[in-house]
Amino acid sequence: MDAAAIAGSSPVFWAILIGYFIVVLGFGSYFARFNRNTSDFFFGGRRFSWWLITMSIVATGVGSHSFLKYSAKSWEHGLSGTMAYMNDWFFMPLFMFGWLPIIYFMKVRSIPEYFERRFNPTVRKLATIALLVYMLGYIGVGFATMAKTLLPIIEPHLGWDLMDITWVVALVAGVYITFGGQTAVIFTDLLQGFILLIAGLVLVLLGMDFLGGFPAFWEALPAEAKLPLANFNEDPGFNFVGIFWQDAVAGSVGFLFMNQGLIMRFMACRSVNDGRKAAAVNVLFALPLSAIAVTAAGLIGLAIATSRPDVLSAESVESSDDIFVMVTALLTTKAGFGFFVAAVTAALMSSVDTLINAVAAVFINDVYRPIKIARGENPSDKHYLKAAMMVSAIATVVGVFAAWGFHQFESLYEAHGWFHSTLTPPLVATIFLGIFWRRFTSRAAMATLVLGSLLIACGRVWPNVLIAPFSHGVPPSGDTPYLYIGALYNLLVCFGVGILVSLVGGKENKNLDGLTIWSVDKARYFFKGGEPNDKQGKRIRRLWAIENQLPAETISASSGELVEMAAASGDLAYVCDKRWWLGGLRSCHAKFTLRPGESSVIYLSPDLAASGRFLKGEELTIEKEF
Amino acid sequence: MLNVFAELPFDRVWLPFIYLYGVGGLFFFGSLWLVVRAGAFRKERTGDRVWLKVLLFGFFWYAAIHGGITIFATS
Repeated sequence: MDAAAIAGSSPVFWAILIGYFIVVLGFGSYFARFNRNTSDFFFGGRRFSWWLITMSIVATGVGSHSFLKYSAKSWEHGLSGTMAYMNDWFFMPLFMFGWLPIIYFMKVRSIPEYFERRFNPTVRKLATIALLVYMLGYIGVGFATMAKTLLPIIEPHLGWDLMDITWVVALVAGVYITFGGQTAVIFTDLLQGFILLIAGLVLVLLGMDFLGGFPAFWEALPAEAKLPLANFNEDPGFNFVGIFWQDAVAGSVGFLFMNQGLIMRFMACRSVNDGRKAAAVNVLFALPLSAIAVTAAGLIGLAIATSRPDVLSAESVESSDDIFVMVTALLTTKAGFGFFVAAVTAALMSSVDTLINAVAAVFINDVYRPIKIARGENPSDKHYLKAAMMVSAIATVVGVFAAWGFHQFESLYEAHGWFHSTLTPPLVATIFLGIFWRRFTSRAAMATLVLGSLLIACGRVWPNVLIAPFSHGVPPSGDTPYLYIGALYNLLVCFGVGILVSLVGGKENKNLDGLTIWSVDKARYFFKGGEPNDKQGKRIRRLWAIENQLPAETISASSGELVEMAAASGDLAYVCDKRWWLGGLRSCHAKFTLRPGESSVIYLSPDLAASGRFLKGEELTIEKEF
Repeated sequence: MLNVFAELPFDRVWLPFIYLYGVGGLFFFGSLWLVVRAGAFRKERTGDRVWLKVLLFGFFWYAAIHGGITIFATS
């Protein structure tokens, strides 16, 4: 930690850190102009390309604690510290062909909203409360982690305490999210994703250079540390089988299926196909790179401790959580250290900004809007947009107070961890059964949420009776026995309750069109408002002009152009500025209408030109959706 | 800290791998079966066929990464 404090004395360190905050704030104020309605604010107008969404998901997935936590794990256990990042593919078929088309085509704005459409309003209310408390707590954890990371660097120079640092970080995050919405989140996360990946990969290069190349690094690693998967069940604190059930199963499903922030990110994609590309590239290529980035400090530290104990010895590391800062300070200059602190800050910002935007979406969509409707009021979308900005600001402040709670009482970390692992499995089971099993009833959903949580709590009280039969031979240890493998018990009881109540409780008469995997085609029909057109067409490029007589959200094309795109009048179109590197920032969705005659220019209704923010003289690409 | 000179028996090296791609494989191929059975995958749609290949590639890609590193670590 001394090295960190010394690094904080460098003016270049401060220039990098302050420069980073200024750039992030600049992004927020710039992208504020792209928010015209709540669809823009929460979903970025459903316009973005897959690569933009991929990078923003990378930034969201790597949390502020990731560099510290996974460096610590790889320091203690070697390459198997990467496991949590390398086991997310097993449920991808259900995500790509089930959940993603359902939420996208059915225009589901939040998880609680899906619960009402699939089940009933009571299930929606239960899910809303659980999600809001969970996400606000998580924002607090993010701020608290960040403040604790920055404290040893900042306190010696500015005299700020934990809460001072928390307020400053929250102010920056709160400002750009409040005004910039989802568009600002996506673009700042693009920047932050690159920063944190580059930081991790630069650390790898510096480490290799220090050790004399990859062969020397590999040779220095202990034999067991080279294995990519942990011991099967011997170590109660870190074993493969527990992590498989806790992370590969419960964690992956939780991340893909019930993460409100991630769902909003996929809803911001220009199409389901781009959502699939974003998910696939993220899991196949970005996650392995992220795994290297977040574990690099621990692995390099382990190799240095083995080959150069005079520089870094195991005894000198008081806590594994210190290894990231120790190795980074050892390998970099004072100025370089500033870049790594900026990377950790980026990891916090990119996780917290997503959560704040998600809290605003759930509150507006599942609390505020239903109240207004119940009162018979019908406010404009502008009203909801202002309310969403206000809720974003309030959520940031509530997150700061939650962080204050975490600073005051160390046990609240555990309370939040307990809450997280108790709440996630019932929601995961409810979503999963809801999507994939038509017989799953509303009554069973409520039982899964309430009884499931209760049985999980019982497992915490009597682990040796309830969890031990599923422990796969993992020995119980410490105050929280079966730390990881407990997830298997949690999942089994939740799924068990859901299945049992559905089978015993009788069938439910409810229209589930488009809401389960068994009727995804109905969801496509719902999205288009007619029969989908799956014929393969070409993308065309044209200059554009406004035609005032066209109905709203309409683009007129000649019969020749429609034939080229394999489109018909009434089909859905995606219209985009031809410059691909904008990632869809200047684009919109429309409906085709037939225009008599031929022309070298394509005509848009006035509202489309405004919502797409197209520039005069810039060519557009036009293609049929589906 | 890890024991540098630890022996690495077969079940330490390969049991996690077998479990990961055995039980994980059940989830993965079970999911594929459900997707096809439910009609969410349509083989007449070109895009669906491409995504099926990507999904299968992903499974074997990760198995190759984990298997390759394990072999490299023990060779």
